[in-house]
Amino acid sequence: MLKLIDVTVKYGSSIALHSVNLEVNEGELVVLLGANGAGKSTIFRTISGLLKPAAGEVKFMGQSIGGWSPDRIVKAGIVQCPEGRKLFPEMSVLKNLTLGAYIHRKDKAGITRSLENIYELFPILYEKREQPAGSLSGGQQQMVAIARALMAKPKLLLLDEPSVGLAPLVVEQMFKTIEKINRDGTSVLLAEQNAFAALQIAQRGYVIENGHLVLEGAREMLCDNEQVRRAYIGA
Amino acid sequence: MELFFQQIVNGLVLGSIYSLVALGITLIYGIMQLPNFAHGHLYMLGAYVTFFMITHYGLSYWPAILFSVAALVVIGMLLERLVFRPLHHAPHINSMIASIGVMLFIEATARKMWGSDYRRLDSPYDGVIDLFGLTITEQRIIVILSAIALMIGLNLFLKRTVIGSTIEAMAQNREGAFLVGINANKVSLMTFAIASGLAAAAASLAAPINLVYPSMGAMVNLKAFVIIVLGGMGSIPGAVLGGYILGLAESISGTYINSEYKDLAAFALLVFILTVRPTGLFAKEAR
Repeated sequence: MLKLIDVTVKYGSSIALHSVNLEVNEGELVVLLGANGAGKSTIFRTISGLLKPAAGEVKFMGQSIGGWSPDRIVKAGIVQCPEGRKLFPEMSVLKNLTLGAYIHRKDKAGITRSLENIYELFPILYEKREQPAGSLSGGQQQMVAIARALMAKPKLLLLDEPSVGLAPLVVEQMFKTIEKINRDGTSVLLAEQNAFAALQIAQRGYVIENGHLVLEGAREMLCDNEQVRRAYIGA
Repeated sequence: MELFFQQIVNGLVLGSIYSLVALGITLIYGIMQLPNFAHGHLYMLGAYVTFFMITHYGLSYWPAILFSVAALVVIGMLLERLVFRPLHHAPHINSMIASIGVMLFIEATARKMWGSDYRRLDSPYDGVIDLFGLTITEQRIIVILSAIALMIGLNLFLKRTVIGSTIEAMAQNREGAFLVGINANKVSLMTFAIASGLAAAAASLAAPINLVYPSMGAMVNLKAFVIIVLGGMGSIPGAVLGGYILGLAESISGTYINSEYKDLAAFALLVFILTVRPTGLFAKEAR
């Protein structure tokens, strides 16, 4: 479904990603593990078109999307819930969600249905729907960010560290929700530092260090890998 | 006391015009971080278009205003497309300098084509109305009411329509807007169209009160920048409130202190407000 082939990304003259090869298949939940600054967000920003690859190819459903503008990539079906959430802080939760469905703006009935699904998934957002998104707690804002991404009905959902800064109980709930989203048919690429929780729900994973993908494999293989255990699980 | 209220009305007239111009600058600044120094000159073009539509082509007042707004919408979109969009990935200072270039270009073109004469547009509404003992010309009432109607319309467009809210979305979080699939170029184009249209409307409303001449945009421009600094860069309520504060300050100080000093009052007010609130009245929280 999504395929990065030898993708290299530069910030000015420094190289942020070195020939990265990564793949997400239809229906999969793939985790991208790595420390802060390893390049997880750079990969995500490149897939979403916020950065242009200096070399290599980004393919989505058979089309080469490297170099497309971000809005075109969203229309193609890749939607990102970014690090730092990037909500519209002065707008109500409902308005944030409505704008999430911007590419479906002509389909009023569809938007109403999506909103119903979202409120079922995150009941708290229904209670807070009239409040400015910026006034919510960190965990609730994270829910708005994920919900806003879901409103676009993505084929592939990119989640960049959805657990960052959340209380442990909320993290657990968040991962359950992500698992459910995936079960309901959306392919997911999940970037995480919280390797233990992420590997519980993922089918496959990649490990990135200093802009290089150093390891890839099925969940079991990564869980048993000595290097991963030491570096990311702490066992 | 009557003089005081008369000056309040005059202040509201001035403030209405300032606010409409400042709104355009603040909208453009909000989404592109571009201080469009040429905005006052778009205002000037708007006044000329209305003037010629009435004097040369025999249109009546309102159709002339509509034509002028439409013409400036097109000019604003052309500016965005031809001047500012190609500079999008260049260093920020380039588009600022480009806007100064556009400003000089528009003024020089106007001088070349229409000369430096001061022209006068007769108001079709030169009757006077007695309101609570005040005598107000109809034109002034029209300025105030039309400006308020435009501001309400703009507000409804920004808050109630999905297309309008893309402008606010981009001002509040640029990348967030890209990630929901909003096309940055379309929003920029639309914002330039609206901002230029508002400038043309303001100029056309003011033309029968003030004179029309090539450098008429410069002072309005300067005042509008005072207003958005005073109101908070990128803030819409700040632009409206700032516009009226400045309009009232000018008309009152012009009467009670000295009319020579009315422009000075604007800048003294700016210095004072920025001393008390360095980020402006409605500054956005740092993100």
